[in-house]
Amino acid sequence: MASIPIDSMVAAGPLRVANKRLESLLVARMRALLLMPAFGLIAVVALLRIASFGVLGAPDTPMSMEQRLLPPRGEITDRNGLPLARNYDAFALWFNPAAMKDGGSPLVHTPAEVAAKLAAIFPELDRADVAERLASGKAQYLRRRLLPEEANQVFEIGEPALELPAEKERFYPQGSMAAHVLGYVKDGKGYLGMEAVLDDRLTDERLRGQPSAISLDLRVQGALEDELRKGMLSVNARGAAGVVLDVDTGEVVALASLPAFDPNDVKPTDLIGTKEQRRLKQPSNSFNSVTYQVYELGSTFKPITIASAIDAGVVRDLGVRYDAKPVKVAGRTLADSHSLGDTLNVPEALIHSSNTVTARVADKLGGDKLRDTMRSLGLDERPYIELPARGQPLWPGEHWSRITTMTVSYGHGIAVTPLHLASAYAALVNGGIWRPATLLKVEPGTEVKGRRVFKEDTSARMRQLLRMVAVYGTGRSADAPGYRVGGKTGSAEKPSAHGYRKKSLVSTFAAAFPMDDPRYVVIAMLDEPQGTTASSYQRTAAWNAAPIVGKLIPRIGPMLDVRPDLSRDVDISDLRPLIRSDIE
Amino acid sequence: MVRGSRLRQIGWAICIGVVFAGFMLLTFRVNAVKSEVVRAEREIVVLEREKLAMETEFETRANQQQLADWNAIEFGYASPRADQFLETERQLASFSAPRAADSPPPIRFAREMEASDYPALVSPLAEHDKAGDGEPDKVAAPAQGEARIALASFD
Repeated sequence: MASIPIDSMVAAGPLRVANKRLESLLVARMRALLLMPAFGLIAVVALLRIASFGVLGAPDTPMSMEQRLLPPRGEITDRNGLPLARNYDAFALWFNPAAMKDGGSPLVHTPAEVAAKLAAIFPELDRADVAERLASGKAQYLRRRLLPEEANQVFEIGEPALELPAEKERFYPQGSMAAHVLGYVKDGKGYLGMEAVLDDRLTDERLRGQPSAISLDLRVQGALEDELRKGMLSVNARGAAGVVLDVDTGEVVALASLPAFDPNDVKPTDLIGTKEQRRLKQPSNSFNSVTYQVYELGSTFKPITIASAIDAGVVRDLGVRYDAKPVKVAGRTLADSHSLGDTLNVPEALIHSSNTVTARVADKLGGDKLRDTMRSLGLDERPYIELPARGQPLWPGEHWSRITTMTVSYGHGIAVTPLHLASAYAALVNGGIWRPATLLKVEPGTEVKGRRVFKEDTSARMRQLLRMVAVYGTGRSADAPGYRVGGKTGSAEKPSAHGYRKKSLVSTFAAAFPMDDPRYVVIAMLDEPQGTTASSYQRTAAWNAAPIVGKLIPRIGPMLDVRPDLSRDVDISDLRPLIRSDIE
Repeated sequence: MVRGSRLRQIGWAICIGVVFAGFMLLTFRVNAVKSEVVRAEREIVVLEREKLAMETEFETRANQQQLADWNAIEFGYASPRADQFLETERQLASFSAPRAADSPPPIRFAREMEASDYPALVSPLAEHDKAGDGEPDKVAAPAQGEARIALASFD
């Protein structure tokens, strides 16, 4: 290469060589001149960029920390701040046939192989069905709510088409617990329970960052459901209902309706009922039997009648004996389930749950007064509670005949919800003030004023009488030692098209504790309990509903700050001599 | 004159240059801290979400129904009876009975020495102290000691 220019240089002479050198120098300079600004420009741009970072700061993130931590829907907690409903980034298993982007088969393995591997991770998946869905080539969910370890296992299959998007899901850590109170969420909208009631608050951008506390106590709710479930299964009952109510504030501390549903996975059969339920015309699992279903609650109404009579001054002396023989009125005969002797006084009538004496007391009291008492206890209107499911009571109307007054006095011919009964019992024992029940947490000092239904001393008398029922009467199996339980059983036959059905009962136990200073009302109800070995082949409340309360109160008492104390009790010494020992 | 004015100009230029450089340095520093804050915030968000997820998982695995089932199958705990509760310290103290004549010696627990537990100071030089029986005088044990021993003994 080098020899050629030398040859030409020799041929053209020294001037030409100098010229040529100058020319190439010029070209080189021109090139450098052009390149240098280009490099300079790049450097300036880079410097400007650095300067802009330095001067203006890092580019703003699209959302602030607060915004990113704000849940899409507010959390619901119990009264102590434990979560009942929250949002959760759950993995979903999404089949995306377009993930491979090569136009070929969407899966690396055959659909059958992938289905087999998926079925190994999720035993409940139907292999044939999954294989068919994978082969169809349509994008779809294969499963929702995967656990993190399951998501890892799916990832290890190594199929790009199996995607695992993290989705914001409404999640209920306690599963089916308190399902009727909470309700559920579908497509961002709340249904049934507090999810529906608080929908505006839970979705409001300003408020949803703060959890909404409701009045339930998660531990008490758990204990109530556990005991109700055990009681229900032991006597083959169709359903069960229970409520724990604060007598001074009206707060519902626990509310359970069984059978329940899982709000994490609401099935159509939960809402419209299974085939079996529809065939037997039974309510579906989402049906709230505490606030919506009305029942004739039977003998649990007797204390209300007696309290009304004491309050009106009709019953002044509790030692007065009433005729306890069957009552003949309007062509019908009202009798007791078993004879308790010819005469009974009021404490004895309550202890042994006498229909005849209660009917005679009510007859003396008069329909108008009994009606007014029941009306001021709110038994003629839908129960006061935030839930949308509120049942309309079957109210016997404005003018009560003699027979109506008598039957209503022991809880027949009037049908109310168990929640009605709980609120009425709260008024019975708390000094006579009726307050609406609420599922919202009541801060101390802000409770509703309520309305006076009974006098203070009537309420004190009722505390004695209800305690006596639990000590000497049908409520003995509910008398948890040290908790000073008082209450009344009720076993009502269910009405049907052909009169009352002798073997279909609704067994209720309405209790309050501790009776010397009542704090909580507890209602336990069983729908159609059967006579089993667990209940000594009995169907009445003393054998199935009362034991539930007897087991429940020692569990929930310490949680609710009620200490058992064997050295305290209601003073019943003035009434004790009135009870004949022979029928004790 | 011209020289002075030139010097002054250069002085001003240097002044402005230094101030500008300082300003730029500060701005850069501020924005560096800012971006660190943004990064920390992102980390907080990630950790908060992780915390929520773990808390939720814990709540789910230890839900009331699960605990009741475990208790029914594994532990069989029952709710405490009324006689297992103590209302006051007085009630607790009532459990301590006076020692019987033939009971073994109570278990003593170590405790910090109080000033009154130390023997009275004896000077080796003081002659008159030697006149005693040789044992240093002990200050009487506090009267409360007896009650304490009775409570702590497990006989």
